[in-house]
Amino acid sequence: MKTTVKVTRGPGGWGGPFTVQETETRKVVASITGGGIHPLAQKIADMLHVPAVDGFKEKVEPDTMIIAIVDCGGTLRCGVYPKLGVKTIDTHPISPSGPLSRYINEGNFVSGVVEDNITLVESAETDTAAEEVPKAAPVTKAAAETPAASSKGMVGFITNSGRAIGSVVNIFYQAGRDSVEIVLKSILPFMVFVSIMVGIINYTGVGNVLANAIKPLAGSLPGLLGLSVFCAIPFLSPVLGPGAVIAQVIGVLLGVQIGKGTIPPSYALPALFAINSQVGCDFLPVALTLAEAEPETVETGVPAMLFSRLITGPIAVLVAFLLSFGLY
Amino acid sequence: MDFLVKFAEVFTGVFQAGGENLTGLITGILPTLLVLLTTINALIKLIGEERVNNFAKKLTRFRLLRYTLLPIMSLFFLTNPMCYTMGRFVEEKEKPAFIDACFSFAHPILGIFPHANPGELFVWAGISAGITALGQSAMPLAVRYFIVGVIVIFIRGNVTELITTLMMKRKGAAK
Repeated sequence: MKTTVKVTRGPGGWGGPFTVQETETRKVVASITGGGIHPLAQKIADMLHVPAVDGFKEKVEPDTMIIAIVDCGGTLRCGVYPKLGVKTIDTHPISPSGPLSRYINEGNFVSGVVEDNITLVESAETDTAAEEVPKAAPVTKAAAETPAASSKGMVGFITNSGRAIGSVVNIFYQAGRDSVEIVLKSILPFMVFVSIMVGIINYTGVGNVLANAIKPLAGSLPGLLGLSVFCAIPFLSPVLGPGAVIAQVIGVLLGVQIGKGTIPPSYALPALFAINSQVGCDFLPVALTLAEAEPETVETGVPAMLFSRLITGPIAVLVAFLLSFGLY
Repeated sequence: MDFLVKFAEVFTGVFQAGGENLTGLITGILPTLLVLLTTINALIKLIGEERVNNFAKKLTRFRLLRYTLLPIMSLFFLTNPMCYTMGRFVEEKEKPAFIDACFSFAHPILGIFPHANPGELFVWAGISAGITALGQSAMPLAVRYFIVGVIVIFIRGNVTELITTLMMKRKGAAK
């Protein structure tokens, strides 16, 4: 008899409930939460009597994961593991979003989970549904392709070209649907958030306070170089990374100040690099998994990239500064 | 009483200013973005992932292309996050460096090709909005952002590859 753990959605969360257990191939609980084992991962691992692994430090084969615990605000990571056929817990209460949202369903994803949502189910019979999650297939392919017998001559030509045009139209139609979806799910919500920020900055006195704080940092080359090093500090960069949310917020703040004339527009280009030297630092282990890298590569690759950013962060700002002569 | 009125004015004023800003974003950015996203996404499907992959395999041997054209192509055709799967074609010790280059180009590409990473548009759109507010075109900035991006990912790719190789050697020696 094997222990089974049941996971339900947390307050404001989405998806689930589902059960997980150790199987022949799936033997670890993976915590991909920017370093360290998340308490949820530890709890599940203890209940199932299996090891919990820090997916940020070492690479874990998706096929060996019983469950993956991520802390994704709805940008990338929340969809990666469902796509790879691994059941996923997101500690943030989000509904499916991001570019891979179509792979997320209630059977492989649950969000907003807190410790109380994890309960032990002692049962002798194995839940067949918990055994294997089939790799989620995108449900977008709607057009049924009926292989018609190719006829010859004029009629054949007309039907063939008709079919070709039809398929091109379908591709554009589907692309339009995908584009609208990403605008609705990712871009518009962020625009609303940005507008609230801009409203507060422009209408209250907060803007002036911010301007005074930001100006020495973003309005001079040494300030920007300092900012780029700060963002690249190895234990800060993975925290600043997720979804590029922080870089986007600072981008908006700087944009407002550039628009007001507090920061000269000639600093726009180096600033774009200074606020972003942490880009991707939270995502390298996942990206290396997508690149089918060996576990050893992940172990050395992560610190190598974090360290490299300390050097290349300021270099990027310098290059941008030199190349912004004559701009604005 | 006056105080309450003043408070109410500021309170609604904040949201009115925010609403105006939102209208500007929706009418200014969204229509072009949607049309562009749709066209390029369709184009990518017509070209097909397989053809892109076959071409990418040929590029990996050259250091100059590995950290310039290859990440650009991956982002353009596969977009974030599937672009990292292109890392399958480079050698093991070059994988972190290749992915570093992809990461670092995920935003410089946005000024011209926002379809590559639309979910993180505002790193670029936030700052370029300031230039637009000054009544100037953001296109020169977009072009330079792209060019500097290419230079930066080439430097970053090489530095990260060097550090990875050194660390792997040291680990190998320790064993």
